[in-house]
Amino acid sequence: MRQNWWKFLGIAILIYSVVVGMSTPLKPGVLRMDPLSIGQNGNDSLRILHGETHKFRIKGYNTNFVDNDNKAWLKLDSIGSVKARKVNIVNDTEIDLTFDIPKHFPQRDTFESLTLVLYNIEDGPAILPDAVFVRSDLSPLSDNSEWEVNPIADLTDKAGMQFPYRSVLHETIRNTFFHIPLWFSMFIMLIVSLVYSVKYLRSGNLKYDIYASSLVNVAVLFGILGIITGSLWAKYTWGTFWTTDVKLNMSTVAMLIYVASLILRSSINDIDRRAKLSASYNIFAFAALIPLVFIIPRMTDSLHPGNGGNPALGGEDMENTLRMVFYPAIIGFTLLGLWMSSVLIRYEVLKDRWMSRG
Amino acid sequence: MNLSHVLAIIKKDIDIELRQKYAIGGTFLFAITSAYIIYKSFGELKPMEWNILVWIIVLYAGLNAIVKTFIQEKKETYLYYYTLFGPLEVIVAKLIYNYLFTLFLSFTVIGVFTVLLGNPIKDVSLFMKALLLGALGISSVFTFVSSVSGSSSSSSTMMSILSLPLVLPSVLIMERTTAVAMRLINDSEIYEDLVILGGIDLLLIGMIILIFPGLWKE
Repeated sequence: MRQNWWKFLGIAILIYSVVVGMSTPLKPGVLRMDPLSIGQNGNDSLRILHGETHKFRIKGYNTNFVDNDNKAWLKLDSIGSVKARKVNIVNDTEIDLTFDIPKHFPQRDTFESLTLVLYNIEDGPAILPDAVFVRSDLSPLSDNSEWEVNPIADLTDKAGMQFPYRSVLHETIRNTFFHIPLWFSMFIMLIVSLVYSVKYLRSGNLKYDIYASSLVNVAVLFGILGIITGSLWAKYTWGTFWTTDVKLNMSTVAMLIYVASLILRSSINDIDRRAKLSASYNIFAFAALIPLVFIIPRMTDSLHPGNGGNPALGGEDMENTLRMVFYPAIIGFTLLGLWMSSVLIRYEVLKDRWMSRG
Repeated sequence: MNLSHVLAIIKKDIDIELRQKYAIGGTFLFAITSAYIIYKSFGELKPMEWNILVWIIVLYAGLNAIVKTFIQEKKETYLYYYTLFGPLEVIVAKLIYNYLFTLFLSFTVIGVFTVLLGNPIKDVSLFMKALLLGALGISSVFTFVSSVSGSSSSSSTMMSILSLPLVLPSVLIMERTTAVAMRLINDSEIYEDLVILGGIDLLLIGMIILIFPGLWKE
């Protein structure tokens, strides 16, 4: 029992990441902001000009507008904000806001995008970037009086732990705890298997060959699960299960390389030859994997986070609440994978002993 | 490693190849027939299709030719070589021989395509650089895989499933680079691609030289 502590640890960590990862609510967010008034120049299409008054219908997510003192601002980066003139609560997730768009804008661009900030004491702040675009090049910023410089201070966050609300991602942000840790643990297992392949070639001990091949087996399983979770994620964020994205195709090719290594193993009957060839191929496959997964996707445009200039795990792209579940999930999946391969190793060793007895 | 041994093995391979005319003739006939089928069925090719089809034919003809690197002679003959040469000399010779073969094959295919379908290459020097580096990657992967799959029962099937995913990075980057050489896409940083292509080649050849001595004993 004592040498099995890491298996229990792995399962405990996995249960923690699944329970916390699935039950923690998202922060309140703004789904959409629709104008209710038509453009004052009579067009159907709404054109928002400086100095006009507009009414908007806000659709919130996880919000509690009723029974709270709601405040709302439209914020222009590095200039200031305007507060909503009128706030009408429709229900818990819908609210009507009336804004006086300021007359004066800095002459930075033809259009300025304003960020919507909603606040009440229960929900904390909810933000919608690029909520409104205003034609802004017609009147220069002569006086700042319309813009409050820093009204959005002292906003307290909602109590308790929440995951960040991101447009497009919404609830699928929880897939961070499955898709990415599966790939991470696959890589860890492939590296361990590479080490055992080298060990086998140096020592000729058949035990190491069984270790390496069992690890590759489980790593391939994890890789396939990683592709499936990624594909589901793509369905809800990109709108399709599969695209011709480099990262996706290169990962599939990487999987093909390793599946081929399993087929190579099964095609040879002589144990020593099989061990030697599959160990050699395993080392070679890992060398080919590095350009496939780490170099080529970074060279070309890709939708996938971490490639083609898209954000991924670094810096502000990941929040600490996510990290609290994400890192344990990596450890949990890795321990689970190692456990699975240790079961496979025991089976293979027993099979070998049985075969050699004859 | 003895350079004269390496040259001796290469010379021997060329001699055998020229003596067994059916093998080399078959490979080139395969390439030319494929090119002719493409010519008759497409009639006229867009440059991008020209580019892709050339590499696919080179890939498959090369695959068929290089698969026999380690099985074309009798087992006893290899045992004899084993006593004569070190593993490093053998693999370097085979790599060089297969590289030359792949280059020769590529030039043949490109020549046939040029005669039948015209030649859309605009930047010849860039195309040649991509070809030299890409062919090195392709031939070294094929050489390695043929040494792995050489004596297993169904070696040509094994060869294709083992090697095609492995050559994919080289082939994709080479296709991209040659497409730039045909002015189909613009990329001012295409020399970075060439460096990566060379890097992949070095990585693959390094791995082969590390691994092969263990395999050669078999």
